[in-house]
Amino acid sequence: MAEEYDVCVIGTGAGGGVMIDQLTAAGFRVVALERGGRVGPLDFDDDELKNVIRDQVFSPHQLETYRFDAESESVTGRFSHLAHCVGGTITHWAAWSWRFQPDDFEVLSKEGPLAGANLADWPISYEDMEPFYTKAEQDFGVAGDNTLNPFAAPQKTPLPNPRHPERVSAKKFAAGARKLGYHPFPVPKAINSRPYGGRPRCMYGGACRAYGCPVHAKATTLSVSLPRAERTKKLDLRIDAMVYELPVDDRGRVTGARYLDSQGNAHEVRARHTIVSAGAIGTPQLLLLSKSNRFPDGLANGSGQVGRNLTFHHHPSVIGVFDEDLRTYTGFESHAAFDDLHASDSERGFIRGGVVAELNTFTHQPIAYSAVLAGDQPFGASWGAGLKDRIRAFPRTLTLALIGEEMPMEENGVDLDPEVKDRFGLPVPRVTKRQHDNDLAMYDWYEKKLLEVAEAAGAKHVASGRNPELHISKTQAQKGNAHNHGTARMGVDPSKSVLDKWCRSHEVPNLWVVDGSFMPTTAGYNPTLTILANAYRVADHFVREAKKGAL
Amino acid sequence: MSDHDERQAGLDRRAFLQRGGLYGAGLLVALNLPRPDAARAASESTKPVVLTEAEWATLEAATARIIPTDHEPGAKEANCVNFIDKALANEDAAAVPLYKGGLAGLDGVAKARHAKAFAALDPAEQDAILRDLEKGQAPEWALGEQLPSTMFFETLRVHTIVGFLADPSYGGNADFAGWRVAGYPGPRHRRGGFTPEQVEGKAPVVPIWER
Repeated sequence: MAEEYDVCVIGTGAGGGVMIDQLTAAGFRVVALERGGRVGPLDFDDDELKNVIRDQVFSPHQLETYRFDAESESVTGRFSHLAHCVGGTITHWAAWSWRFQPDDFEVLSKEGPLAGANLADWPISYEDMEPFYTKAEQDFGVAGDNTLNPFAAPQKTPLPNPRHPERVSAKKFAAGARKLGYHPFPVPKAINSRPYGGRPRCMYGGACRAYGCPVHAKATTLSVSLPRAERTKKLDLRIDAMVYELPVDDRGRVTGARYLDSQGNAHEVRARHTIVSAGAIGTPQLLLLSKSNRFPDGLANGSGQVGRNLTFHHHPSVIGVFDEDLRTYTGFESHAAFDDLHASDSERGFIRGGVVAELNTFTHQPIAYSAVLAGDQPFGASWGAGLKDRIRAFPRTLTLALIGEEMPMEENGVDLDPEVKDRFGLPVPRVTKRQHDNDLAMYDWYEKKLLEVAEAAGAKHVASGRNPELHISKTQAQKGNAHNHGTARMGVDPSKSVLDKWCRSHEVPNLWVVDGSFMPTTAGYNPTLTILANAYRVADHFVREAKKGAL
Repeated sequence: MSDHDERQAGLDRRAFLQRGGLYGAGLLVALNLPRPDAARAASESTKPVVLTEAEWATLEAATARIIPTDHEPGAKEANCVNFIDKALANEDAAAVPLYKGGLAGLDGVAKARHAKAFAALDPAEQDAILRDLEKGQAPEWALGEQLPSTMFFETLRVHTIVGFLADPSYGGNADFAGWRVAGYPGPRHRRGGFTPEQVEGKAPVVPIWER
């Protein structure tokens, strides 16, 4: 019989990485299974063609299918913005580090039911999460000044690092926002504004989102959690380990995991507890692959909710072209935001909302800007002299966007594609995703507001971005996003949720899920700080219960 | 169909073409096999490796209409055709049939209309043909459904832009021509980044080719 570990963690990203760190620190022996390989600062450059356009660095084997709804044909490709590597998708995050608002934890109670949406309350409150937000902010060195944001969620401990310099584009954005009576502030970022945690200060190289940090100034599980865990000698980290089944014993408990190595050879590890953190696309794929006599519809899926309620964020965006160089190719993705328009107000024709920010997602380097943004603008053209004018406007182009809360819908989700297989012959995840009417109303409303801000900021040309990758309508949804949530919800009622308030399966007592899958609703904020904080919360509970002998 | 819906249909098609035509779908996965030796050998050459001399001339002329030369260099001076040739020799090898077929199709339209090769036409004649290919409205296009002219055009368009603005080590963006036009001072992750003063606009930024 193979050695039995205390804990098997599947995935080394935001959720899994924190669990690995916290549990090894508490003395547990952990085996971690990561489907990707090792990457590090020496692999991280800012070659736009390699990193963004060809996407060759992080997920060379990622494959999925997408369809709009159950009646649509599916297309095969790589739509979710993931990183399959040691450190997971947080390796190339943009480090936005929001706390959700207290009302984001009780959307159903606050709003009441919404037709066509599967709203839910979280089984925990903001107060339950607050100390763990602090823990995550401290460990990941969040820089900023939330006292400048009158709408910030209440926090007992200030951010550990001071704000970053204000990029020229952020100054323009802030001036426009102030003119309209809004309250711009520096986006809290888990990027060092001074040496912190043994990591250096940011070098403001411009290419941040979708890139690995070459100096580890960006806090990730690769730069913060995993090195610490490896020093404990309690961690057995196995790379190129594609988990394809979580076997169960006759008592219905998970015994560990079965995985394929890069050559396709099968291996099995045994552990007393299994913690899944394969992302909100990969986790339902794995649970649905793990069928058994006891769990014929997939592991922990008695509720039928595994893989349902998938949400992203939607992103109306606009551009404003100025006369001067906005330095968008410096710094990191987003330097400024305002949150005045976030609070839910059904008078606007939709519920919920989002945070508005200035960002260089398509203006940090010129290829994506020129190939995608340039095509559908009133100013310029997709080729010829008009394209050249647009290329010349590259450093003078301000981009604004919303992080818009999407409504969860039961029919949006992840299941196993019936035809398309990956390189090992495993069914790839199939994403089914369309937009709720609330999303479309929110998108249109904010797009108008963003145009007002760009105009108030003094832009000479203002236009909606309408990037084909991001635009949504009655007939078009986003095929993929970096923000994936909801496919293994936590909740109080086992018939309506997959996990309990501790992110432990209602049905399988030694199975836990800690990636974005757990979120019943998404809030209008980037999710990662909440995934990190939740993992600290779950780890704290795990350690306390284990010490009591209750696990 | 409302204007809005029509616009959406257009965007859907563009997204599809971008994904399916060049850097998309299963193609991308198949293309990502590293071929370091081939890449090095090819990138050291500025002569045709995949294209014939005639195809090279046709493609160079077409790229020059996507990003024309004015008071500043365009795709021709940036050597975008060399970028595409080297991409076809390496990462984008799966697009070789698309180019071989598409360039022949392009010349076919030119010869049907003007009895000359595409490269020998004047810019206005070239633009008229490319506009028709973009819209799928060139009756002389002989490849029909086998290779829609829209897909060839979109691949050409995106590839030209990439060649103009990618790192010069890939064979285009010669003498940083594309980055000069874009006002992009070059990547900094391996060069120490930018100072807080540069981020804030309080200090000048010197392009990497002037340092």
